[in-house]
Amino acid sequence: MTWLIAVSAGIVALAAVAQLSFGSYGMTPAQAWAALADSGVWRQPAILLRLLLGEAFAQARGLSQGQPLATATLIVWNVRLPRVLVGIMVGTNLAYSGSIFQAVTRNELASPYLLGVSSGAGLAALVLMVFFPAWLSLLPLAAMAGGGLAFLMVYAIAWNRGASSVRLVLAGVIVAAIAGSLHTAIFFYARDANVFQNALAWTAGTLTGADWRQLRLVAPWTALTVVLGLAGARNLDVLALGDGPASALGMAVERTRFLMSAVAIMAAGSSVAVAGLVGFVGLIVPHVVRSLVGSAHWRLLIGCLFAGPALLVSADSFARLVVSPTQLPVGVVTGLFGGVFFLFLMRKRRNFAKP
Amino acid sequence: MKRLTSHRDGLTGERLRVRYGPREPLIIDGESLQIPQGKISALVGANGSGKSTLLKTLARQLPQESGNIVLDGLDIATIPTRELARKLGILFQERHAPGDLTVEELVSHGRYPHRRFLESLCAEDETAVRNAMEMAGIGELRHRLVRQLSGGQKQLAWIAMAVAQAPRYLLLDEPTTFLDMAHQFDVMDVLVRLNRDLGMSIVLVLHDLNLAARYADRLFALRAGKIIASGAPDAVLTEETLRRVFDVDTLIVRDEARKTVCCIPLKRTARAEQGARAGQPGLNDFTGADGRARPLKGTARQGVDRLQPFPERYQEV
Repeated sequence: MTWLIAVSAGIVALAAVAQLSFGSYGMTPAQAWAALADSGVWRQPAILLRLLLGEAFAQARGLSQGQPLATATLIVWNVRLPRVLVGIMVGTNLAYSGSIFQAVTRNELASPYLLGVSSGAGLAALVLMVFFPAWLSLLPLAAMAGGGLAFLMVYAIAWNRGASSVRLVLAGVIVAAIAGSLHTAIFFYARDANVFQNALAWTAGTLTGADWRQLRLVAPWTALTVVLGLAGARNLDVLALGDGPASALGMAVERTRFLMSAVAIMAAGSSVAVAGLVGFVGLIVPHVVRSLVGSAHWRLLIGCLFAGPALLVSADSFARLVVSPTQLPVGVVTGLFGGVFFLFLMRKRRNFAKP
Repeated sequence: MKRLTSHRDGLTGERLRVRYGPREPLIIDGESLQIPQGKISALVGANGSGKSTLLKTLARQLPQESGNIVLDGLDIATIPTRELARKLGILFQERHAPGDLTVEELVSHGRYPHRRFLESLCAEDETAVRNAMEMAGIGELRHRLVRQLSGGQKQLAWIAMAVAQAPRYLLLDEPTTFLDMAHQFDVMDVLVRLNRDLGMSIVLVLHDLNLAARYADRLFALRAGKIIASGAPDAVLTEETLRRVFDVDTLIVRDEARKTVCCIPLKRTARAEQGARAGQPGLNDFTGADGRARPLKGTARQGVDRLQPFPERYQEV
């Protein structure tokens, strides 16, 4: 456990250093650190608040513009730091969502991506972005509603006196395919090539352009997810014993399953709202953490709190820096990692995903 | 919670009718039974006769279509779920432990109904968990993985979990099925200790009539959703009753030394004789109480699944 936390935190730190330093405006790590620690930011609460809470808040409160900042400081604070922070949030959300889905469906293949929840959330978010751009602040809520609807549909399709692993994933594929077609249809509705390119990257899952506004959209939901996930950890443990035993132990099984699913949908929806459809993180991270710290959910979820960001932030630094100046969507990298890992799971563990 | 003044302590089922769905046949057909307090009671009967269904209904794990269940003077439908779990525990046959769950972790889940939402294990819980493991004789297995235990040890671990729950009634669905003789004794001896030392009332579904005769204070014999006979083992285990319950001819031997009876199965009762009992569905017809064919559950289902490759041999019996 300690090792997992230490290594994960180390990976996040290394990836963050790379993300803050390198890129089209190159810096040494020392320069990046200097920009991060720039007293021009830290000594001026007006600037700090403007970044954290947004321009609208700053104007409403009449905050001063403050002293002008150095270019390096502006780049680190306005562009690179929020991207790392959003990556941390999204990684946490997806890992929590996957862990919770795997527990409530008692299915090790479950993840927001494979259950079609991400696609449903993505479709709802895309509809909002293209047709109702004025209500963009509702993006996480719209994505959650879409994800929740997709989850209900998947369950309804898969249900046949209980829902087996394979049926759930098949139903997830069906719902994801339908949602995916509608995504694509919406792209063609958007005639501007620039919008098209952005929407395409978003479908693959990307943190490009993630700034403080995205952080403000996702951070409260991440906090809520982590708190509710950890608070429900013991319920997830008991649920893992099976419906009969859980109910015999005095759990209201269906209510618990419903509430914890809602937490998982909230986590997935809010991450889709800011980063699009990042695949496989919700599947891989819980598997890796479980193999290291066991399946007790308290430890599993604490582990995910570190391992999720580690995977996502490091994948994002690959996506941004390896073929620089072209920026790949982070979902391409997690998809590559994830596909190979999935293959490994299937071949290595013979009883994997047996119905 | 609704208190019924007409009832004193104990677990009582009144005129219970149970089916698995609105259009499914009746599994339990208007039966009443009184589980004596502080005793060991056993439900016996053929595969598919409704034993497990009755047990689950008594624990409120299946909804009854009509009828009441009264636990210590309280209508069981009105007891909050958590509180019910502190009074009554039930172990199912089908269950599943996550791969890396240790015995101690499993047993500590038994404290679930005693803990509030965010409360961690308190000293009282830890004592209860330790005592439960000692009681079940698995204290030294506490750090082993449940997955790696033998069938008998697994059964004892699950029983320890139910003991940590500290219920006054413990219901078990076929706790000895699939265990070898030695482990059957281990399990039954633990149940006897729980009954004698803690005063727990035990209700179990048993297939082995000799174990039932030896350990139970009271037997309920079921056939096609009806309780055909109930009472002390030597009153229920008669050649006549067993013929009516199982369609099997038996020889009943009194074991004077152990003050019990012993049942030796001889053969299937002749078909002509079975047919002569008008209106009674035969053992292998698997028809419900209303005479309609019904889906098999539990052990009955597994039994048929195992037999399917050899249908002709099955009919020869």
